[in-house]
Formats: sequence, C-alpha cells, structure tokens
Amino acid sequence: MRLPESQVAVLNAASATDERTIAQLAEATDQKPETVTGAVFDLRDEGLVSVTETAAESVELTDEGVEYAEEDLPEVRLYRAALDVGDGDAVPMGQVIGASSLGGPQVDIALSNFARKGYGHIDSGELAPDAGADPDADEEAAALAALAAGESVDADVLDQLESRQLVVRHERTIRAVTLTDEGVTALMEGVEAAETVDRLTPELLTSGEWEDVEFTEYNVEADAPEARGGKKHILRQTADRVKDVLTGMGFAEMEGPHADADFWINDCLFMPQDHPARTHWDRFALDVPPMEDIPEDLIDRVRDAHLNGVGEDGDGYHSPWSEDFARAIALRGHTTSLSMRYLSGHEVGELEPPQRYFSVEKVYRNDTLDPTHLLEFYQIEGWVMAEDLSVRDLMGTFEEFYSHFGITDIQFKPHYNPYTEPSFELFGRHPETGELIEIGNSGMFREEVLRPLGVKCDVMAWGLALERLLMLMYGFDDIRDVHGTLCDLDLLRETEVLK
Amino acid sequence: MPVVDVQPDELRRLTGHEDKSDEEFKDDLFALGLEFEGVTDDGAFQLEFGPDRLDRLSVEGVARSLRYQYGDARGVSVPNTNDPDWTFVVDDEVPDERPYVTGAVVRGVDLDDAALDSLIQLQEKLHATMGRKRAKGAIGIHDLTMLKGDVLSENASGNSITYTGIEPDGDTFVALDSNDELTPAEVLEQHDTGRKYADLVSEYDRYPAIYDEIGLFSFPPVINGRRTEVSTDSRDLLVELTGTDQWTIDRMCNIICYALAARGATIEDVEVQYEEGTVVKPDFEVETKHVSHDRIETVLGVELEMDEVIDLFERSGLDADAELGEETVYEVSIPPYRVDVLHPLDLVDDVGRAYGFNELEPRYPDVGTVGQRHERSRLEDAVRTSLVGLGFEDLLNFHMISEEENYARMDVEVGSEYLGGGEPASITEPYSEDYTMLRTWVLPSLTMVLENNTHRAYPQDLAEIGHAAHRDDDENTRVAEARHVAAVLARHDATYEDAKARLAALCRDFDAELETPATEHPSFIDGRTAAVVIDGEEVGVVGELHPKVIVDHDLELPVAAFEFDLSALA
Repeated sequence: MRLPESQVAVLNAASATDERTIAQLAEATDQKPETVTGAVFDLRDEGLVSVTETAAESVELTDEGVEYAEEDLPEVRLYRAALDVGDGDAVPMGQVIGASSLGGPQVDIALSNFARKGYGHIDSGELAPDAGADPDADEEAAALAALAAGESVDADVLDQLESRQLVVRHERTIRAVTLTDEGVTALMEGVEAAETVDRLTPELLTSGEWEDVEFTEYNVEADAPEARGGKKHILRQTADRVKDVLTGMGFAEMEGPHADADFWINDCLFMPQDHPARTHWDRFALDVPPMEDIPEDLIDRVRDAHLNGVGEDGDGYHSPWSEDFARAIALRGHTTSLSMRYLSGHEVGELEPPQRYFSVEKVYRNDTLDPTHLLEFYQIEGWVMAEDLSVRDLMGTFEEFYSHFGITDIQFKPHYNPYTEPSFELFGRHPETGELIEIGNSGMFREEVLRPLGVKCDVMAWGLALERLLMLMYGFDDIRDVHGTLCDLDLLRETEVLK
Repeated sequence: MPVVDVQPDELRRLTGHEDKSDEEFKDDLFALGLEFEGVTDDGAFQLEFGPDRLDRLSVEGVARSLRYQYGDARGVSVPNTNDPDWTFVVDDEVPDERPYVTGAVVRGVDLDDAALDSLIQLQEKLHATMGRKRAKGAIGIHDLTMLKGDVLSENASGNSITYTGIEPDGDTFVALDSNDELTPAEVLEQHDTGRKYADLVSEYDRYPAIYDEIGLFSFPPVINGRRTEVSTDSRDLLVELTGTDQWTIDRMCNIICYALAARGATIEDVEVQYEEGTVVKPDFEVETKHVSHDRIETVLGVELEMDEVIDLFERSGLDADAELGEETVYEVSIPPYRVDVLHPLDLVDDVGRAYGFNELEPRYPDVGTVGQRHERSRLEDAVRTSLVGLGFEDLLNFHMISEEENYARMDVEVGSEYLGGGEPASITEPYSEDYTMLRTWVLPSLTMVLENNTHRAYPQDLAEIGHAAHRDDDENTRVAEARHVAAVLARHDATYEDAKARLAALCRDFDAELETPATEHPSFIDGRTAAVVIDGEEVGVVGELHPKVIVDHDLELPVAAFEFDLSALA
C-alpha cells in the first residue's frame, strides 16, 4: 500500500492497544499537529485507524491572573500594608492605600475583596484588619499559584477566579487514535510512502505519473500576491448605465461637435443675446473665425423669433440680435446644441413624431473649480417629441428614468428657463440618506424654440450632470479625485464596480 | 438667480396677515417658487427665485404675489394716475447710444427706513437684471421738492426737465456721496461709483445729462446729483429712467410705481416730449393674449371646467374673458408689471402654478420609439472593453489643457507635422492658465496622470479613449474633432515590444491589419518609434517615450506608449 508520507508516519506511530493523542503523535512523528490531524482523518476514512473524541477543558491565567500569581492578590497586599501601618489597629484608608502602593483599579479590587474574604472591616473611612486572618491560607492565591505551576484546582475556587477575570477556560476536543485491525494488517503487509510533488507539471500529466504522487499541501489561507486587471472608469460605467436605461426606454443617441456656433448653442434655444449667461465670463469662446455654413432660412426664422416672437400673440425680446454674435464659435455650454441640430432636421433629416433622443456628452462651463464643480463635465440630455405632450408625460418619464438609479419620490418645482415653459427643477429622494436633492432641470421646449426649427408638435426635455448622479450613487465628495489628471489611481483601482 | 431680501414684518404688514409665522411664510413663498436661502444680519429673509418674475424684486411685489396666492386679491389691478404736471423734454443733443427716457411723479410717499431700504434694493436689483447692469436701463429717483421745473411756454401750468447730452467736461455738479463740484468726465475718474460704471459711457461723444431750471442734477446711467437725494423726509418723488430700449425702461418704471403705490403713494403721469411726438408715461396699458381652453388641458393633461380656468387666471393676478366659439378661447389681460409673458404658453404656466403642478398624476407617455446607441459610441465602448481586457486602467481626462502641457512638455512644436503638433483651438480669454486650449492629443494627459501618481504602485498601465481637437479652418466649426485611443505602460522593464504587443492584440480584436514602419516623433526615442498604420493608413504613433519627456514629468522608469485615431478601427 502507498500512502502519503505523513499518513505512513502516523500509522507507524499509532498503536492497536494504546490510545495516542494527536499531540503525542505529532511529537512522535515530528510533524505539525494540523498535518497529523489531516492524516488521521484520511486514515480513518480509509478504515485504518479509529478516532475517539473527548471534550477537555483547559484553564489559562489572564494577564491579571499572572500578575497576581507573581505579586500577591491586591487584597492581601492591602491587608499586609494595614498591619504594617497600624500595627493591628484601625487606620485611615488613604494611609493604607499609600503604603500598599496599589494604584488605579487595583484599589477598588482590593477594597471589595478585603471585606468579602474576612481580612477585616472598613468603617467610616478607616480600615480595621482582622489580626486572625491568614493571607498564606488564601484559597484564591493558592489556586493561582497552582494554575501557574500547571496543576489543577478545585472547581469552586476556579469559578471564583473566573468571576474575577483572573482565568479563562477553554473547551477543546482531544482526539485519541488507535489502529484498527485493517490498520494492523496493512502495516504487516507493508506501507510505503508515496512521492510528493510541489507542482503539477506537463511531464507528470503526459507520463501518467500523476496517479502515484501526492501533492504537497499549501497554506490556502495565506495572502496571495496582488493581482490587478484594468477596469472601466467609474464615470464611464455610470454613463454606460445611463445609456442602457435610456436605450431601454426607447431613446436614440445623438452625436455632434463640442465646438459649435453660438447660434446652435444659444440662439436656437431662444436665449436672448444680452442674457447674462452669454457674456464672455460664462462661455469659452474659441479664437477661430466665425461659422460660415448655417442654413440662411433657419437664421431668419430664429432672428424673427428673438425680435418679434412666435405666433399671433407672441412678443420678442426687447434685446438686439446680431448675426455675427450668433456665428461666433465657442465650446458648448450644454449639449442642447445637439438637440437643436437634431430637431432642425439638419442632422439626421426631418423628424416625424414620435421621437426620443439622448446624449451623455461633455459640456464646458466657466465655473469655479471646487469639489463639486469642474470646468468640463458630462451632461445627460434627453428629449421626447410627440403630439400633445403634457406635463404629466414629462413627470412620468422622469419617474421611470430616476427609479433605475434608486431615486424615488420625484418632486417638480416650477422654475424658469428661457427655452422651456412650463419648466421644472427636479428633486428626488436620495437612495441612502433620504434627503431631498436637486436632480435635474426640465421642461417643455417653448414654441419660440420649436417653430423656427420647423417642429410643429411638442417636445419635452431635461438635463442633468452625470457627475452629480455619480456622486449621489457613490458618495464621492471630491469629483476631482476621479475626473481629470489629478485623479488618484488607487481610488480608481479600488472603487467598486457598478452592478 | 436673483436674490431679494425681505423683512418678514414688512411682509406681514403689506399682506395684512399679521399673524403669519416666519415658518408659514417660508412654506407659502416656496410654493410661489421663492426659495429661502437664509437670513441677513438684520433678520431679513434672503429669497432666491428664477429671473422671470422681476416684479418680485421687492417686498411689495412679493407681498402682492402672496395676496393673490391667499385669495386676498384677484384679477388685474392698475393704480389710478393723476394728470401730468411735469414734462420730460428730450432734446436733439441726447446721445444716440441712449435715446430713451421714461418716468413718473410719485406723491405722498411715506418712507420709513424699511421702505427706503426696500426702494433702494428694488432699484439695485432692477439694475442688475433687466437693466443689464445699467447698460440697458438705469433708474434715477429724486426728491421732487428739490427740483425747479422750467416753465414751458406751451403749457403754462407745467414744469419740465430736459434730457440732453453734454461734452464730458461740459458742466459740473455735486454727485451723491461727494462734496466736490465735478464734471461728468471727472466723476468717471474720481468718484467710486463713476469708476464702476465708466465703461458704460466712456465711448460716447456726449454724456447723458438731465437738467432742471437750476442746472445739471443727474448723470445717467452713472450717478445722481446730491441736490435731489431722497431721504426718509421725502414726500414727493420724481422717477426717471434712461436706456437703450423703451419697453425695458417702461417696465422697470412700472415695477417701481407698483411698489410705491402698494405703500399708498399716488402716481402722477408725466409727458415725454420726443422730437417725433409726445407720449404719456408710465405706460400702464394692460395687454391681452389669447389662449385656448384645449391648449391648457393638453399641457396640464387634465380636464378643466371653464369657471375653474377663469378662477385660476384670476388667482394668478390675470383677468380672463372666455370667447365661446368652435373652441373656447380666453382673452387674458396681463398687468403692466409683468415682464415675462412673451407667449400665450406663459399664461398656461401661470394656470398650472395656480392649479399646483404637484397635484398632477404622472403618466408614462404612450408613444413607441426604438432606442439605440450611436455608432461612434458603440465603437468607443467596444475598444474600451478590449483595452480593459488587455489590463489597462481606463482613464478620463479633461479636454482642455495648457499649451505648455500639450506641446512643450512633450517636446512637440506647435504646427509640426507630428501627432499632437496641430494648431491649437485656443480659448479667447482663458480664466486659468492650466486650461487655455483643447488638447490636440491624449498622451499629454496620460503622462500627467503618471506624474501625479508616482506614489502609487507600478506597473501603471493606463489607457484613454478621448476627445482631441485642433484648429482647421476648412471645417465648418473651424475645429477638427476626433476621438483618439491612447495608452501608456509605465513599468520598470517597459519596452517598445510591450506597447506593440497590446496594440497588435487590439487590432486583431477589430480585424484590422497593423503595420509599424519606423518613424520619428520628438516625444519618443529615435529608433524605437513606429508609425501606427492600420489597414494601410497612417493613423498614429507607437514607441518608447523619450527620457527627457519622462524625466520632465518626474518619472523614474521607462514608459512605452501608443496613440491613434479611433475611427481606424471602425
């Protein structure tokens, strides 16, 4: 019979007549107790040994117990000090404590056990030692000394020591091994140690040698060297989730230029040219010539909307409108420029209702850089085009969208945007903190926006910063840690993936 | 967004709801769209709101809106006005750039400190918003008793003031907060307020000026004279506004008049005598717009009774007359303090607010459409998945960068033919020296990430698929935009081979044929640099970063890298 080396050793060390404990076998075979235990169980499964298990209790002194075993119990030290100081008479407590050199919690321990164990009385702040008490006969002190010497002690005293937290008791199982008849027979027939190998090699597999070898055991609980794969940026993962949700809701993705004419960025949106947001402080104008190719008829209609309004009862803005200003090129401040391009029919052809479109793309704003504001960030933009849309449709769409991110209890605060009416700021309940938080801006595009673009039905739209959604979902408090060249690689590596 | 400071005690007095608590007011104000932002040192609410209802820029306007909300007031209200006694003569010397004037006389005002503060705040807030920092419209308020009108021959009973233009040093007056006789030009140089608004008129040939019989008393839009300064003792006021647009200053004037009338003052018309004719101001004409019952129902998505709609209009401070016909249409009257009603839909919004938008039941729109990702977005996603599979950490950097980082630190010259050497699309007036242009390539960003993470564990294999752009006047937008695939391998034994191996694996994923003929690029080591040629077209570069680039970024280990145009894998 061929058995692993450890089992062969155990089999040889075991006896058919005397029980041997695991500890004894470990010593006899010069193997680790856990190796022997493993071997014993394997041998038992083979039917070569039998194992009996008995529960045993061991007692260990705590650090405090060890200290008292070496230096006397506090109450004994107090008693001896009281005798020294008062020569058998009652003495003020403070004096005794000073003389005993007890400190901290030991004083309380000493006092509470002093009276209990009959070392004397405490009365009106005086301590009267009982001359008849014999500290040398203190059961607890004796028991501590015995335990320190590895001897056993009386159960009652042990309970007392345990209640004083001077000892801890451990329950453990003692396994004793004896050879079975099969074991004896196997030994008589001869047992050889099988070869053990460290690595499974191609040679072992092809030669068939693997059948005769045993594999050395690894410490499978030990730490393995760190392995690292790449992963998608957490903001990309969030963007992908948004794109999944929106495509699932029937939205198609838009695409378009980051640098664009103010015409597409602002004028189509019915933003008056003297609107504060259009001053140079808020936009990133580019040092390039103006855009030449903008459909002339569209320019005329947009200009007319700004100057004269739309419809019989419409009024324009009482602001100047300049074509040169409209043709100037800047980095887009919102991706609504894409919506304008699509709605105008110049991007993918004339659109017939119903339509749903979205984008999750970068926009550029001159804002102060701080933990929650970047000069460039991702904007989620979406719109629905249909006949006779109502505010209720808008509300239903947002409830659906935000529910996919755990944001519920959506509230609509009437708001003002130059390009939508009615307009709403969206608030929702944070999935973790339960706070009511702002989660977007929305509305129905004004007729002054839609009619010049050639859209005759209704369009509702909304926007939201992707970074805001990310911060809500992950609780990041500084967006600069993840977005941009100041990012922390460790943070990116260790951030949990989006499930 | 505008913020207005409102004393809750004033609100109690002006609404007549003396028993309302501060908390009740906060809730009622929120329902109006006025958000409580905090309290000033002297206990006023700071209320923020959208810049549409500029008639709420003072406590009087806020109180008026609350009275409508409470049902204490209904429908359109227009203050009575007395016949004109004063005339504003506009002479032909008026600067062409600022030809318009309007105003009113207000009598019997009772200005305690709170009322005066509110008036000054309203004036400032109107300047900041509708007045476009006084460029479009500026308000001057004067103590009428300090003015001496010229007697007009045509109108023996009346008084007049004259809006004119003068040479920058054509006259002198004592400005507010000053003791010196200064010319308008000196005011622009020496007076704090003058310096602040100097840009508004410094290009003018003639400066705007207003005279009474005594002399120059106002230098709009910069500053008033000290002679006519308003105090708590003032009982009769003259309000004048000048600007670049008549409608705008008329509405600003209306908002001021409504606020003073709310405190019991009487408004008196003035005549404005332009060369082309005389007009009476303030312009309190009530305009009308038409909106159909059907449109209100579709926008709100609920069915409403006609009476209910009319009630909602009146609770919004509007009046509505139903015109019955094939479809019911309301003729809606709009009070002259409203500046936000450009289209009938703005009136539907008022109805919705009065109805309570949050009373509406959400519903998912029952229209079918097909969702899909854009082709470019799908490709980008597929390439990113492959890069991550190859062990790269996916990064996301800013599209804006500095010229120093984009060119100099990579040792690439502006306008060179190398990848990244394209002309910059520069920001005209950059606010930060770190962000002055769009990046022309992505490797500078990745190298900066390496530079900022030298304390983190290596290897650092980083990749980014991102936007890159350079100036190209042949493009309609004058900017050529592309998505680039870029990667760096920073490890103690990084070589050209490591970069090429991963590049080749990526190309295999997309069934693209990769060739790497030797080339030169200043960011890379000569002899260890190749052009990335995909399906026969040169689209990028691969190699080992040059030690001077590595050392300049405070790195102490070799870096292999590649970058190419994403569309090559399409």
